Amino acid sequence: MLAVASVLVASALLVGAFTSRSPSQRVTASSAPSRSSGGLSLDTIRGVAVPGPVKPAFAPSTPVLLPASDKLARWAVVRFAVPARSEPRTDAHVVATVAKRTPERTSNIVLVLGRKTDETGRLWTLIRLPVLPNNLTAWIPRSALGGYGVVRTHLVVVLQRLTATLYRNRRKIFRADVGVGQGAWPTPKGQFYIRNKLTGYSSPMYGPIAFGTSARSDVLTDWPAGGYIGIHGTDRPELLPGRVSHGCIRLRNPDILRLAELMPVGTPLTIR
Amino acid sequence: MSDLTLEQLDRDGAIQEGIADLYGHSRADFLRKAVVGGGVLIGALSVPPRVEAAAASDVRIFQFALNFEYLQSTFYTETERLGTIAGMAPRKALWARTLGAHERAHVAVIKKLLGPAAGRKPSFNFRGNTESENRFTRTAVAMEDLTTALLTGLTPNLQDRGLAAAAFSLMTVEARHAAWARHLVGVLPVASAFDEPKSLNGVDRIVASTRFISTLRARTTTTRNPRFTG
Repeated sequence: MLAVASVLVASALLVGAFTSRSPSQRVTASSAPSRSSGGLSLDTIRGVAVPGPVKPAFAPSTPVLLPASDKLARWAVVRFAVPARSEPRTDAHVVATVAKRTPERTSNIVLVLGRKTDETGRLWTLIRLPVLPNNLTAWIPRSALGGYGVVRTHLVVVLQRLTATLYRNRRKIFRADVGVGQGAWPTPKGQFYIRNKLTGYSSPMYGPIAFGTSARSDVLTDWPAGGYIGIHGTDRPELLPGRVSHGCIRLRNPDILRLAELMPVGTPLTIR
Repeated sequence: MSDLTLEQLDRDGAIQEGIADLYGHSRADFLRKAVVGGGVLIGALSVPPRVEAAAASDVRIFQFALNFEYLQSTFYTETERLGTIAGMAPRKALWARTLGAHERAHVAVIKKLLGPAAGRKPSFNFRGNTESENRFTRTAVAMEDLTTALLTGLTPNLQDRGLAAAAFSLMTVEARHAAWARHLVGVLPVASAFDEPKSLNGVDRIVASTRFISTLRARTTTTRNPRFTG
C-alpha cells in the first residue's frame, strides 16, 4: 500500500515538474478543487492538481464468445487452374483440373469440406468438384485457393415433392414449388453448391435471375457450356410445379427473386 | 446527398493524402475504396459527432486501427470456426477464444465510433495460418506484439484526448494479450523494459509482407446469358 502511494506521489511530482514548464496551464490548489475526502490527498501535491482519468471516446462493448454450435459452410475462390487429386499428395491420381473461371466467366468457387497436412508440411484442401460424375470430391493445395467465405444457408430440393426449401442456421426461411427434369433428362441427385448468379440477361426463358450450380446433367453431356444445372425463373409459370425441364430447377419469377434476396453464392445444395 | 463521395467529403484532400502517405499511391485507390465501401456512397448516413469533430489524422489512425482489428478478429474467428482451436489444450483454447472475443469487441466499438467512415471490411486470406495450431500460435504471438507496438506508436499522435484515452484502453489490453501469448509459447512474456513504438508505415509494410489482406475479390455475378440445361 505504501509502495503504491509512493509511486502515485512520485507520478504526481513528475506531472508537477512538467506542468511547471507551462505556467499558463498550471492549476493551483486554490483554483482546482480536490476530489479527495479525508486522509492523504493525492489529487493535489504541493499545490498542483492531478487530473482524473480522461473519459474514453467510446464505451467498451461486451466481448462475445462464438456459439459452440456455429454451423457454417465454407467456400473459396480458385486462384489458378490446378489439378485435383484423389489423395492429399502430389503423386496421387489426378481426378480433374479445376479451372480459374466458370463457363459464365465468373470466378470459380469451390465448396471446402476438409483439410489435411501432408508429410512435407504442405496443406491440402478437400473440395467438392463441379464435374461429372456428380458428387465427386478431391484434394487441391490450399495455396490454390483465396480466402474463405462462409455461408449459413443450405438449399434443399426434393424431387418427389417438387419443392425447394432454404434453411438459414437450420431454420426454414423460404419454400417454393419447383419444376424439375423430365424422365429423359432427370435432375441429378446429390450434394452440390451454388456457384454464381446471373442477372440482367436477355433470355426470358430463364426468368429474371439464374443461379449456376456445381451439378451437371448426367445425360445432356454435350450441352453447350457442359450441361450445368441452373436454378432459375421461367416464362412458363403455369407449368409449375411439375417435371418439365431438361434438368434445371425452375421457380416462378416472384419466387426466384425472393430466393435471390436470401441465398448467397457458396450455399450448399442438396438435391434428393 | 446520395451522390456524396469521398472526394466531396474530404474537400481538402487530407484523408486521401494521408492514405497515400500510409499506403503509397499504388494502394491508395484500394484503401479509398475500403474507406467508402467499394464505391458504396456515404450519402445520407450521418457521421458520428465525435468523428466529425476529430482531426483528419485522428480519423485515419482509427481507420487503420479498425483494419488491423478486422485482421485480428477475422484471424481468431476463422481459426475457431475451422476447428483448429477445438484441437488445442484447454488452457490454450481458452486463450485463443478469449482473444477472439476481445478482438471482435474492439471491431464493434471502433466501427461504431467511426460510423460510415469505418468503410468496408477488407478480404483476408490467411494462407493456411488458421489451419494448423503451430502456424496459428506463431502468427498470433507476432500479431499481438505488433498491435502493441502499433498502438504505442499511434496513441501519442491522437489530438483528441478522448480518442487517446480510448486507444490507451485498447493498448493495455493488447499488451496483456501479447504477454499471455508469449507466456503460452514459453518465451519471456515481457521482452524488454520498454516497448518500442512502430509507425503506421512500418506496421503497414509488415502486414503487406504477410499478404493476409487479399486484393482478390470473388466475381460471382454476371449479366451473361445462361447456358444451363433449362
